[in-house]
Amino acid sequence: MKYAFFLGCLIPAREPNYENSVRKIAPILGIELVEMEGANCCAPFSIQSVDYTSWLALAARNLCIAEKMRLNILTLCNDCYESLLMTNTILKEHDELRDKVNEILADVGLEFKGKTDVKIFSDVLYEDVGLEKVKNAVKKPFNGLRVAVQPGCHLTKPKRIHFGQQLGIIALDELVKATGANSIPYERKEACCGGPLRGVNDEVALHVAKQKLDCMKAAGVDGIVTVCPFCYLELDMGQIEIKRHLKEEYDLPVLNFAELLRMAMGMKLEDWELKAHRIPITKILNMAEEK
Amino acid sequence: MQKAIMVIGGGVAGIQASLDLANRGFKVYLVEKSPSIGGRMAQLDKTFPTMDCSMCILAPKMIECSHHPSVQLLTYSEVKGVKGSAGNFTVTVLRKPRYIDEKKCTGCGICAQNCPTETPNEFDENIGVRRAIYMPFPQAVPRIMLIDKENCIECGLCEKVCPAKAVNREQQPEEIELDVGAIVVATGFDMFDPSVIPQYGYGRSKNVITAMELERLLCASGPTGGHLIRPSDGKIPRSIAFIQCVGSRDRREWINHPYCSSICCKYAVKDAVLIKEHESNSLVTIFYIDMRAFGKGFQEFVNRAKSEFGIEFIRSNPGEISEDRKTDNLIISFEDPITRTVQNMPFDLVVLCPALIPSKGVKELANTLGIELDNYGFLKSEDSVRKPLDTKVEGIFACGYCVGPKTGDIPDSITQGSATAARVAEVLAFKEES
Amino acid sequence: MLVKWGIQLSCLDAYFMHEVANTPRGRGVLACIQCGRCTSSCPVARVVQEHNPRKLMEMIILGLRSDVLDGQLPWYCLSCFTCLDRCPQMGDVGEVMFAIRNLAVRKQNVPEGILVQAKSLFENGRVVTASRMASVQREKYGLGKEPSVDVEAVQKILKKTCFDKLISKGS
Repeated sequence: MKYAFFLGCLIPAREPNYENSVRKIAPILGIELVEMEGANCCAPFSIQSVDYTSWLALAARNLCIAEKMRLNILTLCNDCYESLLMTNTILKEHDELRDKVNEILADVGLEFKGKTDVKIFSDVLYEDVGLEKVKNAVKKPFNGLRVAVQPGCHLTKPKRIHFGQQLGIIALDELVKATGANSIPYERKEACCGGPLRGVNDEVALHVAKQKLDCMKAAGVDGIVTVCPFCYLELDMGQIEIKRHLKEEYDLPVLNFAELLRMAMGMKLEDWELKAHRIPITKILNMAEEK
Repeated sequence: MQKAIMVIGGGVAGIQASLDLANRGFKVYLVEKSPSIGGRMAQLDKTFPTMDCSMCILAPKMIECSHHPSVQLLTYSEVKGVKGSAGNFTVTVLRKPRYIDEKKCTGCGICAQNCPTETPNEFDENIGVRRAIYMPFPQAVPRIMLIDKENCIECGLCEKVCPAKAVNREQQPEEIELDVGAIVVATGFDMFDPSVIPQYGYGRSKNVITAMELERLLCASGPTGGHLIRPSDGKIPRSIAFIQCVGSRDRREWINHPYCSSICCKYAVKDAVLIKEHESNSLVTIFYIDMRAFGKGFQEFVNRAKSEFGIEFIRSNPGEISEDRKTDNLIISFEDPITRTVQNMPFDLVVLCPALIPSKGVKELANTLGIELDNYGFLKSEDSVRKPLDTKVEGIFACGYCVGPKTGDIPDSITQGSATAARVAEVLAFKEES
Repeated sequence: MLVKWGIQLSCLDAYFMHEVANTPRGRGVLACIQCGRCTSSCPVARVVQEHNPRKLMEMIILGLRSDVLDGQLPWYCLSCFTCLDRCPQMGDVGEVMFAIRNLAVRKQNVPEGILVQAKSLFENGRVVTASRMASVQREKYGLGKEPSVDVEAVQKILKKTCFDKLISKGS
């Protein structure tokens, strides 16, 4: 299975450990990741807030690159997923908008034809690779590890773009279960982590993150598993900031989903990757056992 | 031309149509898929706005149906096929086996007292339990037991103890063909399942219930004998919230009930008053978007609810209900319309007022009869303004909630039943002349 | 202008609701029945009293143009779309928020944090560029340099849509 690999901005810039884990597990699961030459930022929330046409044109440029490669896009980040998927849907449906965007793209020698699809990593693993294959690749399951899965808003919302809200979350829960960990239900699981306001209004972002962490703590979990790098940052770094400003401590290590899978598949995280977690993940490391 | 009419659906609309037609000299076959006639009205405790006992109004009509020489009740039966045209239909009806000889059973109930099984009781909205051999409800018409083979363990005790030797465990389903001149469909409504809206916690939280479940809890013949207790721990709830428009007035594609169900505001106020009558020091709050209390007596009823009974009306639609695991209480998040801030208010019990949707099985029935459905699955009238009770097939009529929410209440269903009877008689008389 | 318990009628813009409805992503405001489900679902509304999606729709419908476009309310939004998913009338509150933000930017009402990302996008083709530590880690541990962006193409696009002018006005 070949995909046009859309990395986005945040992962290469701040979370190279996430990228590393994905690159390590992809070949084992039969996923070939092809680089998208010259791909630009997907145009997430902040850019969409500035201008509508700019967003559509920038996102469409990435879709055109994938179209030229004749591949579907695989993203890791919820915001990239949202931006590209929404743009793809809008431009496929609305002729006038498509013409308008193509007029702009003509300047850079591209044309949106609507021939590609956008998929996020967890859905690719669940649907295209298949749960069985993922289960078979797990060599060191986490027996008894209780995790709160943070699906992130844009994995499933808005529902009418994502064709069925709960499937994205169900897929994620099943994949986490395949690694041997237990996805523990908790209140307000679909609620936002506060990530989009990071750097824009940190105080509000922290209070929203705190609500999430409170719910997770109340459910009694050992750690958190995220998909989106924004959620990862907000819940990991956010715990340090909450401790400093709001005087509340959670001690909930945050793992991104690819790392969880990588460890379950028997690979060890390197030192630099361990240090990338602000809340130390040592207690999770000790919970993986031989199958 | 046949002088018999088939009425499909034994709710109050179907019952009224049957009685009017029978009194006019027609023979009526009243076909009902459940084991007793009565429909939704039989499940209610009291009716709005007069607060009359529902069964007290309905039961005389049900008895009249069973005793009327021109009405033949075909309960626990379903229509499977139709041939012919107006004036000369041949309808195939499948009579499901009760495993009881209907001519011998006296409804004494000794069999049920000895039955060792227990299974949720559908009439009580699965709150209470019944046996595998059971009477659908105390005032059921016809007053005949039936065996639910799926939950029956075949112990044979009922057969042993029955004084009338009425149990026949080998009974087979029976298909009969009936010749009728016209068909009236009156299949009523079901309640939308609120678990489709996960934020309200229906199905997850025990103390979030639907309005019909509340009716059964309040009803003296219900599973708690009319004592209002909450499902999780049997405590008497001191604070109760009603949430209106759960599924109604909802344009989202996966819900698709953009219409207003017409009667929920009215019955919510009725239920709120009923609760206050049961427990006078309880706090009852209704969360609404609009209070639709049209018609004679209803706005007055709402005013009384506020002034006399102290029921609180909050114009705000809540977004979320979360559960306090320790107390089983529910916490409703809503925007306080006065302060315009988000409030979290705890309640012992939450009642959802769901959208009213077409009855299960109506799609297949419409297919069999060759009549059309509208976008929401309700039966389509020939012309909703000029011929609201006719369907596009001549000789087939439809009345009551199965055609969609009109005024929607009991007087409306009775009126439509009578009107349809008149219409049927008119069409058949015309056919006879020509 | 919103006076403590009243509104000055002369300050209302009767056309504002239609202006928003005709802005991309703003159509939903015409469907709002003011039920309040959005606000009670919003994760920020619990935390920030000023942020109230239903109130925003109300202000648009009433025509409080300057209060809406000069205020902070739309910039508290997380674009989590919880409101949008729960709105029974397809009022698309989350989308209307974007429309309002687009209009607010044109009035130079935009937080510094957004401008920083927008400027980075124009200069580097990315809203955030690799930190020094991340660059070092990438080189050291075999991930290679940060994937390169065709910045020229990005700038061509953004100049055509006048994005660059929008963000320079705001600083």
